[in-house]
Amino acid sequence: MKKHGFIYELKKNKALFLMAAPSVLLTFFLAYLPMSGLVLAFKNYRYDRGIFGSDWNGFSNFAYLFQSGTGWLITKNTILYNLLNLVTSQLLAVIVAIVISEMMGKLYKRIVQSVIFLPYFISWVIVGIFVLNLFSYETGLMNNIIRSMGGEPINLYTAEKSWVWVIIICCFNSWKWVGYNSIIYIAAITSIDAECYEAADIDGANIFQKIWYITFPAIKPTIITMLLLQVGRILRGDFEMFYQIIGANGQLFNATDVIDTYVFRALLTNPNMGMTAAASFYQSALCFIIIMVVNHIVKKIEADYALF
Amino acid sequence: MKNTKKLLALVLALALVITAFAGCAGGGSGSSTSSTGGSTGGDGKLDTSKEVEIVMYFISDRPAKQDDVDAYMNEIFKEKLNCTLKENWIAWSDYANKYPLLWSSGEVFDLAYTATWLGFTNYAAKGAFMELDELWPTYAPNNWAMTSEAAKTQATFDGHLICIPTLLATYSAYGPYYRTVFEDGAVTYEGEVTNFEEYEAYMEWVQENTSITQPYQLYSSGLEADDMFYGYKGRYNIRGTAWLSVDPYADTFTLVPNYDNEYTMEYLEMTSRWCEKGFWSKSALSDTDSTKCQNGIAATGIHNVDTYQGRYIDKPEWGWKYTNFVEDVSNLPFTQDACVVSTTSKNPERALALYDLITTDETAYRAFQYGIEGTSYEVIDGQVKMINTDNYGGTGMWAGRTSGLNLPSYGAPEDITTMKADWDAYIEKTGNHQSQYLSAWLPDTTSIETEYAACTNVIQQYWWPLECGFVEDIEAGLAEYKAQMQAAGADKVIETLQKQLDDFCASHPQG
Repeated sequence: MKKHGFIYELKKNKALFLMAAPSVLLTFFLAYLPMSGLVLAFKNYRYDRGIFGSDWNGFSNFAYLFQSGTGWLITKNTILYNLLNLVTSQLLAVIVAIVISEMMGKLYKRIVQSVIFLPYFISWVIVGIFVLNLFSYETGLMNNIIRSMGGEPINLYTAEKSWVWVIIICCFNSWKWVGYNSIIYIAAITSIDAECYEAADIDGANIFQKIWYITFPAIKPTIITMLLLQVGRILRGDFEMFYQIIGANGQLFNATDVIDTYVFRALLTNPNMGMTAAASFYQSALCFIIIMVVNHIVKKIEADYALF
Repeated sequence: MKNTKKLLALVLALALVITAFAGCAGGGSGSSTSSTGGSTGGDGKLDTSKEVEIVMYFISDRPAKQDDVDAYMNEIFKEKLNCTLKENWIAWSDYANKYPLLWSSGEVFDLAYTATWLGFTNYAAKGAFMELDELWPTYAPNNWAMTSEAAKTQATFDGHLICIPTLLATYSAYGPYYRTVFEDGAVTYEGEVTNFEEYEAYMEWVQENTSITQPYQLYSSGLEADDMFYGYKGRYNIRGTAWLSVDPYADTFTLVPNYDNEYTMEYLEMTSRWCEKGFWSKSALSDTDSTKCQNGIAATGIHNVDTYQGRYIDKPEWGWKYTNFVEDVSNLPFTQDACVVSTTSKNPERALALYDLITTDETAYRAFQYGIEGTSYEVIDGQVKMINTDNYGGTGMWAGRTSGLNLPSYGAPEDITTMKADWDAYIEKTGNHQSQYLSAWLPDTTSIETEYAACTNVIQQYWWPLECGFVEDIEAGLAEYKAQMQAAGADKVIETLQKQLDDFCASHPQG
């Protein structure tokens, strides 16, 4: 087959090109053009000279991230928290979706789905207050229960107990996102051909066998796509969640600090465009590497499931 | 038939493109319409022949009926300077994002609020503010004449005047405000609070005699007691870099970090004891409730005299009292609140003339600060009472306040006047020495931003929990904090700032 030039393609598919134009142009203007602002990460930004007029200063904007070894710690925390949250919230979402779609009563099904979905609408500010009222040393619900049963109250807000916060954060993250994520899986399950289940019934498969051999394989591409999309955000901590739940509690920082909270704290009193841009650049570069690697691995194993 | 279909598709797609971009075009053009009237003939005379709009930014929440006040004050400005003022209110909820963005966006505007607490030297060093060496004395002559020499020194950065500091004196006085009447007047505290022993006794008394179990208001912004404690011991804390302090009585000033300060162990032993006694919650640093004193959940806090005034006006029946614990009282830098001209300003001359008017002319001052008499405020016995506060409020341009024109708030405690008179007398006596002398020094952190940012983080991570008494072994905690500070580059920060301080002392003789 003879290959045609771009002009030929343009002429032949005028309407298609024109239809694609808005989204292509929007992506260009809103995603690609602002990317030139990344040079800010390598500049000593001056307000009167603007982004492109300011002087270059090499990698010195990145230095504060790695001063006294914090860079490694917060990068590690960000990745591990996101991995944990990714796995737990997606896994729970799949389970919830399967359970909901297996439910019989229509009204009951609706109610359960709404209740699980509700936390998605609750802001982290409110959640932060929940958490304080649950775990506060003097007046928290947990310690009130322990006291009423004659036990010694536990102070979770200390460096020794900071590992507990990994679990607390993971639980609240799942609590908030499971309902939202499960909707996508419910949609995927609904689209499975009912004949498969009927055939399985005739063969005498029980409910667990149906889930394992029909439902699960059918939604596997959805699960992988969802995971891949989330992996692209693995270097971006959910700032609000960490900030509202942990607050200014320095003793918990080593266990709970992510890149976003560190940058916020270090630069709040001394805002610096170059240094914030550097943090953002660092996150984006690592995200890019991670998504390329993960996608490559997926492609090797099961080419159909890869994003690109 | 096929052609019509194709044509239709083309037209549809074209329509899509146009609508998608129509939205973008609409938003962009509005902001850059500032006119360039009011230039000068070079002889320093202000040309007011052309009407201009001055755009001003400050931080505060816009009251519901601010439009009425704007219309009222613009009548005055129009008549006197042939200009109008457009106030842009940056809400408290997003000032931390919007304020830096205001400068980096390159927006065209004239005046803005700035302050030491907004880190204004950082903006000055990066060229955000217009230099005012010539403009200020020429176009705001009354304001210039009223500004003290100390304030002018504070407003000088890198050899140039970069901001107009407030004309209202504020003080470095810091201490506990405390409630003395409890349980609807049934329980009253009769004692005094003049030192830390008495303060501790007071908080114990509150725990024993009232329903309040945690008397000290501590929340996620940290314990305020360290500034006060060092001040009580006669030291001067560097503004904005409070972990460094100097001995204001010495002949040469040496910056000492709090981890090497001779009083630090004493301070930490005291606060650990307070924490152990349950004066505040062990989870307080995750608590964002800053209104515990107003709500009667806590009885005392440590802050400046303005907070005391606020508490007192809010609930006079609770018998709020205040004691200053800082020994060597000085004026806070007048750059505590300041006004700057943006480098993007097209009409700096008229903007400064307007600022001159609102800071020195009584009618304009009251219209700008308080609004419309009888509608948004009343004057009772020389005190100002804001009325109809659901719809009206004072301005957020605090830099525009002037001692003399500024009226005390209605219902303010009487002892504030005597306290301020005492401090004024003390400052008069010390003259340009000690803390008052040091308050004119402006640290510049631009060359040490990396270390400074890292130190800011370490302080919150290690010092805050330590001083709140949350760390069991304070000696080990202090050593850990010191080690972390040094790893973050504290030595370089101290060395750089010490050199700046030495240079400042060399170029500004005391006297």
